[in-house]
Amino acid sequence: MSALQRIACSWCGSQSPTEATTCIACGAPLDVKNLVSDSGWRSAPRLRDMTELRFGNSTCQVEGEIVPVAEITLGERDSIFFEHHVMLWKDLSVALGVMSLQGGMKRALAGMPFVVSIASGQGRIAFSRDAAGELVVMPLHPGMELDVREHAFLLCSHSIDFSYTRVQGLRNILFGGQGMFMDRFVTRDAPGLLILHGYGNVFERKLKAGESILLEPGAFLYKDASVTMNVETQKLTTGLFGGVGMSLARMTGPGRLGIQSMYHHHQTE
Amino acid sequence: MTDPVRYTCPWCKHSSDAGSISCPACGAPVDVRRSITKSGWSELPPIKDMAKIQFGQSFCQIEGTLVPVADFKLSPGDGVYFAHHLLLWKDDQAQVSAMSLKGGWKRLFAGMPLVMTQASGPGRIAFSKDKPGEMVAIPLERGRAVDVREHVFMVATHSVAYDWFNSGIWFRTREDKKVETHYPVGMFMDRFTAGSAAGLVLLHGAGNVYIRDLQPGQSILVKPTSLLFKDTGVRMNLHFEYPYGTYFVPWRSWGNRYVWLSLTGPGRVGVQSHFEPMEDSGYRLDSFEPNATETQW
Repeated sequence: MSALQRIACSWCGSQSPTEATTCIACGAPLDVKNLVSDSGWRSAPRLRDMTELRFGNSTCQVEGEIVPVAEITLGERDSIFFEHHVMLWKDLSVALGVMSLQGGMKRALAGMPFVVSIASGQGRIAFSRDAAGELVVMPLHPGMELDVREHAFLLCSHSIDFSYTRVQGLRNILFGGQGMFMDRFVTRDAPGLLILHGYGNVFERKLKAGESILLEPGAFLYKDASVTMNVETQKLTTGLFGGVGMSLARMTGPGRLGIQSMYHHHQTE
Repeated sequence: MTDPVRYTCPWCKHSSDAGSISCPACGAPVDVRRSITKSGWSELPPIKDMAKIQFGQSFCQIEGTLVPVADFKLSPGDGVYFAHHLLLWKDDQAQVSAMSLKGGWKRLFAGMPLVMTQASGPGRIAFSKDKPGEMVAIPLERGRAVDVREHVFMVATHSVAYDWFNSGIWFRTREDKKVETHYPVGMFMDRFTAGSAAGLVLLHGAGNVYIRDLQPGQSILVKPTSLLFKDTGVRMNLHFEYPYGTYFVPWRSWGNRYVWLSLTGPGRVGVQSHFEPMEDSGYRLDSFEPNATETQW
């Protein structure tokens, strides 16, 4: 089939056959127009119930729309990794292991998972999270680096390197809503699949070089490694009352920025 | 020459061009049939993704369907106010500052937000809440007002005056010498009034939102924490019910009482389907607000 007979997905850039109604790499509907607000935020693709997508020798079927389930059919020699508490069910044949991580003590102290589990094919295994939201399927092409809010990743294919990046600056750590670390996913030679779960609705925008936007830190979901984050605080006072400080994260491009609409405001805990 | 065909929104009664896909005043879609339960509740049709609501020279775009975002484009001279923890993002142009509120101490003690924040145009600013649900847009004509349960309000345009009043809805329980006062709809309620210009109030209802227009004297019992808003003409009082078959426990004790909020027309009321559990210590009922009623089955 020639390139002219294929259709490009506007979300992930992958090519699918012209007769496809959903992207084979990320599941995004191909037969509906993108939802983009006047302010420039694009809604993450609303994955249709029972949409199927491929990675390596495996497939993923997305089931449900309120708290969607990612059901993985692992092919031979394929594996995925995940935080153990997101596992919903699995076949007996799926082998489980533990992935060794660098900086285990730092991760433990920072409240990040220091044990990441691996499931290996063949067999079926399914994952879901603990609140209403959307699955964000991100096929990662070679050379990509993506930073993700801690605990937001649902599963990732084994071909992707998983590490963490330290949030720089005391103000960013204290008021940035991410804690000390963010997960970092890096692809080397082979492409891979990363699935995130965003609370509520998920929106993405591409920031140009030097372009910035102020964000409630709790709404941050993911960003390209090239996007920088710096927390700025504004004092809101009224008369005798001390008022409150409003901390917003200034995200500066270039790169993609993803946010979730149902966020946990860390200062109202 | 004939007048262009007009469309009157069944929710907010605003008249607009029939060619619109949603009401420009409240965002309700025009191409859906009204869904009314046999009991008379109208299900609020969810605002369509990316629908726009016009106010002044500005507009608000509603984005998403699970936890919708209200994305405002503020023109010069226009502004909105909001509880600061609802801010999702803003651009550099939108200027944010604190709005002074009267009765700071009372608000502090009542657990209401002490600082209301305001944003002025030009610029863009967006808001969202922390529960799946629906955005409820209430356009207020000049001189109209609406009462809103505390912590439900999201954002209002600057042409709408903000005030609050004692809800008058309380009951007291006693256990030995320990006396507790409970406020099932909060100690205070918010009141929003459009003054010399029309305005817009946005609420967030958790779960689904249902509305009904009560006739004069018509009453309905609802869970107190399900109340979203009411017209100012709707009266409220508590109603206690004691089911039969529980005579072995002393009357007026926890475990055999239901606490309802009675709403009496005339006027519109809105409720949400996902409501918080009501606080009740479970101790013996000692006293309650003067208009409360009781039924022993």
